[in-house]
Amino acid sequence: MASLPDVFCVLNDMKSDGVIEDYAIGGAMAVLFYAEPTRTYDLDVFVLLPGPDQTIVTLTPVYDWLKARNFEPRAEHVIIHGVPVQLIPAYNDLVVAAITEARQLDYDDVPVRVTPPEHLIAIAFQAGGGKQRERAYQLLETTDIDRYVLDDLMNRHGIQAPWSGDD
Amino acid sequence: MTDRPIQTEDRTANLFRKKAEWHRRQARLPLKEKVRILLELQRQDYPLLRRHRQMEWWEEPWTIEP
Repeated sequence: MASLPDVFCVLNDMKSDGVIEDYAIGGAMAVLFYAEPTRTYDLDVFVLLPGPDQTIVTLTPVYDWLKARNFEPRAEHVIIHGVPVQLIPAYNDLVVAAITEARQLDYDDVPVRVTPPEHLIAIAFQAGGGKQRERAYQLLETTDIDRYVLDDLMNRHGIQAPWSGDD
Repeated sequence: MTDRPIQTEDRTANLFRKKAEWHRRQARLPLKEKVRILLELQRQDYPLLRRHRQMEWWEEPWTIEP
């Protein structure tokens, strides 16, 4: 049976083969690296695609690369070793920062790039909604957060901090 | 009689403190143990969720090891 590191190896291969420029695990799986586990049924991966023009986004070369390795895309997911993976092209500057400033962590000796906790909180507040806010507060309450980095991110990306009192 | 509300407040505060400590301990578990818990949560929640709503095709417990 495959294991989670096998999935991370595929992401690393995508990067080393140049089909993506870089990536960072996001969503609930990224939160798991820093906080207590919460249920999720998919793995969100933010990706930077190669090429200078990021305004026209196509995942076709990425899906072709995956299909050649028998990982079939279906709708917005692709099943990699039994895990539904959603590849999310960087959709704004904050997500680009999440990828370029990702933490390189180890899982069973496999390197994996993970969105930093401060970026996860900023992305959650930017997205809004109850589930996202819950995720942000979960990180704030149980994880060592660099408040200077977080405040800077929130200011730079124009995100209203709920603790500013103006919410 | 008069000190009963204070005792209740103390007990409630104590419960919340213990709960917060438990969450912090869970957060500090080894990564592989957290993934094992995630896989178990997926398995436990799946039949309950399916009973309450239409699941997406990809919303199934992962067939992997931690």
